[in-house]
Amino acid sequence: MATNPIILLIEDDAHIRRFLRASLVTQGYELIEAAAGKEGLALAASRVPDVVLLDLGLPDMEGLEVIQQLRSWSNVPIIVLSARGQERDKVANLDAGADDYLTKPFGVGELLARMRVALRKAAPAEEGKPEESYSLGNLRVDFQRRLVFRGREEVHLTPIEYKLLSVLIKHRGKVVTHRQLLKEVWGPSYIEQNPYLRIFILNLRRKLEDDPTRPQYLLTEPGVGYRLRDE
Amino acid sequence: MADPGQVAVAQPPMEPDRSGQENLLVCLSPSPVAIPLIRATQRLAAAQGAKWFALYVETPAHDRLPPENREMVAQALYLAAKLGGQAVKVSGFRIADEILAFARENRVSKIFVGKPKARGWRRFLGLSLVDHLIWHCGAIDILVVSGEAEEAAPPQAATAGSKPRRLLKEYLLAVAGVGLCTGLGFSLFPHLALRNLAMIYLLTVVVLSSCLPPGPALFSSFLSVAVFAFFFVPEYYSFVVANGEYTMTLVVMLVVSTLVSGLTARIRHQVQVARRQERQTAALYEMSQNLTAINSLEELLQVAAEQISRTFDCRAGILMPGKEDRLEIRAGQAYEDEYGREGMVAKWVFKHGHLAGSGTPTLPNVKGIYLPLIASQNVIGVLRLETEQPQRLLEADSLRLLEALGSQVGLAIERENLFRQAQTARLQIEAEQLRNTLLSSVSHDLRTPLTVIAGSASSLLEGEESLDSETKRDLAQGIYEEARRLDRLVYNLLEMSRLQAGEARLNQEWYVLEEVIGSALAQLDPQLHDHPLRINLPTDLPLVQIDALLMERVVINLLENAMKYTPPGTPIEISGRIQDRELLVAIADYGPGVPPGQEELIFEKFYQVAPGSQRGAGLGLTICRRIVEAHGGRIWAANRPEGGANFHFTIPLLEGAPKLDKDLEEL
Repeated sequence: MATNPIILLIEDDAHIRRFLRASLVTQGYELIEAAAGKEGLALAASRVPDVVLLDLGLPDMEGLEVIQQLRSWSNVPIIVLSARGQERDKVANLDAGADDYLTKPFGVGELLARMRVALRKAAPAEEGKPEESYSLGNLRVDFQRRLVFRGREEVHLTPIEYKLLSVLIKHRGKVVTHRQLLKEVWGPSYIEQNPYLRIFILNLRRKLEDDPTRPQYLLTEPGVGYRLRDE
Repeated sequence: MADPGQVAVAQPPMEPDRSGQENLLVCLSPSPVAIPLIRATQRLAAAQGAKWFALYVETPAHDRLPPENREMVAQALYLAAKLGGQAVKVSGFRIADEILAFARENRVSKIFVGKPKARGWRRFLGLSLVDHLIWHCGAIDILVVSGEAEEAAPPQAATAGSKPRRLLKEYLLAVAGVGLCTGLGFSLFPHLALRNLAMIYLLTVVVLSSCLPPGPALFSSFLSVAVFAFFFVPEYYSFVVANGEYTMTLVVMLVVSTLVSGLTARIRHQVQVARRQERQTAALYEMSQNLTAINSLEELLQVAAEQISRTFDCRAGILMPGKEDRLEIRAGQAYEDEYGREGMVAKWVFKHGHLAGSGTPTLPNVKGIYLPLIASQNVIGVLRLETEQPQRLLEADSLRLLEALGSQVGLAIERENLFRQAQTARLQIEAEQLRNTLLSSVSHDLRTPLTVIAGSASSLLEGEESLDSETKRDLAQGIYEEARRLDRLVYNLLEMSRLQAGEARLNQEWYVLEEVIGSALAQLDPQLHDHPLRINLPTDLPLVQIDALLMERVVINLLENAMKYTPPGTPIEISGRIQDRELLVAIADYGPGVPPGQEELIFEKFYQVAPGSQRGAGLGLTICRRIVEAHGGRIWAANRPEGGANFHFTIPLLEGAPKLDKDLEEL
């Protein structure tokens, strides 16, 4: 890339800011920091970052409010940093427009992976250009012929399973909430049907994974949704 | 007074208290004299350090007293109890006999009575209560106290308007009865001997006495003798009696009829008393029955208010001090308190521990009757009753029952409060102990990883140049792993306190067990490399209704436990099957197993098989048990016959689990 991507970190804890600064700057990102929500929103407007990392425990504003305000004028990818046990908050944030989340404590590797996914989404070049195929490990999806292969073998998927897989591929690397999946696959009137989604995911895993109990591709995000592994 | 020593020989029961302690007795009458009398007794009792009783003998006449006088009795008894005396009410006919019987039973040495009023024929005949007592008291001293200064208007003056009218009706009934009998007498006169005619009159007297109060009954016996003498005894139509034999007949008739009327009245009174007592006993029994099966104060108040409301057919409510000691309605009927007057009366009753409100002599200008709920030490609340006819509730027997129920409720409230206090205290002690154990257990478990982290990080800082890259990597890896361990420990602690505080609400949904286990495995991933996993789950397991995050925690904790206590390289098995409408999940290892006899202990909080040797706060299994039991399942540990521990837990299978829906598939 010509210029380093700009990352806006909104986080009130100085130690966390310090360790993120150390890791991100060495990885070639340009980091701008804000210790509070208002400051963060102002920086987001003036510096136009490529990714926003948002901590949920800000002193001046609810994280949800920051997301809503940001989303009112910007499509910048937002990755939420939250504590364990706040699954409801995570879902609310994702539904409000956040792109992904990381549970504290997290490793830098995880963070970098999420950021790569977020930056890819932001890159305009891939938009509008329909993909012809997708492959991940020994999985391969041929979108034009609507065929799915595991290794050399063709896997037969029902139309719904195929649709589910395509939605996950579209959001690959990124968490997709139950609600969002149900809405995109079945339609808005099915957004409360979590159990059915689970059954379909189970079936999909049995068809695609080597060991469905220890899935390598279709990962569960407990209490939040699913994520298709990307790398 | 009599020489006590001398009489003691003749009448052993009258022996003064052997302990040498004096017992005093004050006799109360329904007049204001009672109050100074009680105070005088109390002063003397206090001076002598004596025990004292206040006794009121309730005769049939008590029921005919105006409410003011009945109220005086209640006040006097209440005052006596408040001043440290023992207030007693007994029923009987002859006041003096009851007093003496009570005095002997309780080894009373001095009896206080009020000075009798100067008027009355009994006084001249030496028949006043005091005279009677003095005659029969034996070794007991009788002290007559005057209460003149405070003696108010005689009770008769206050008699309510309805009383004489009823009395008049009863006398008229007596006259009518005797008249009817006389008519009958005339028609039978030609056929019957005089003796048998007298029998008819006696019969009439018996019949009348059985349905009239003692006054009119006695009147009917005199009247019948007079009428009989006038019409049927020669000389006819005159009270002059012709010969001695007839005089004898009349005298016997008079004696028999007065005796009969008196006896009948007594029986009637006893029947009334018995009936009243039965009703009271029944109500008290019901209340005590109801109050035993109570779980909370709110429920207790509710039950009490409902039962009082039912027993007395009125609106009942219970007020108790709430915030800032303001009385609040805690159970039963709410009421309007437009000018705050009701509240003021309630407050007065609460403060003074005395009946007040509508229909009573105290603060009657409100809608409710307020009765103190008295516990063993103090007034604990106020019972509020509202009815259109307050007098009905203030009748002697209703009032007595109300008082009894009130004290029952008061004591029940007190018991419940004490129980709760004891429980709170126990919980506090338990929490304190828990905190101590937690601190000692957790501080060790927190410090170990912190020591590793601090040590490794400082080594990295100090030896930046000297350390080779592999060592650096090792140190960093150590920091990372210990930090994850700390995180899990902190999470378990938080989870434990959440479960403990009852805050953790189950967020149950239909889940696939396989997914829950998979997600648990994913979270443990790096550590699991040391143990081969064997997973055996049937593909057709039904969905279970669980809180997935919590159930995942169960699996994680059980797996962590297995990894912690088994040597690296030994496999861990996870299996599931349906058994008796439950999903049975087993996690088995090939380690040393659970020490025999400790299969239950290991689920106890902070319990560790070998303290200090392994890491962990001893909370993991406790959390598992709490979560599984919250789901209605069971969890237990066993050893496999071939060695190694086997942990089982169950999840109930519920009806209505979603299956693959055709509509969803075909959309």
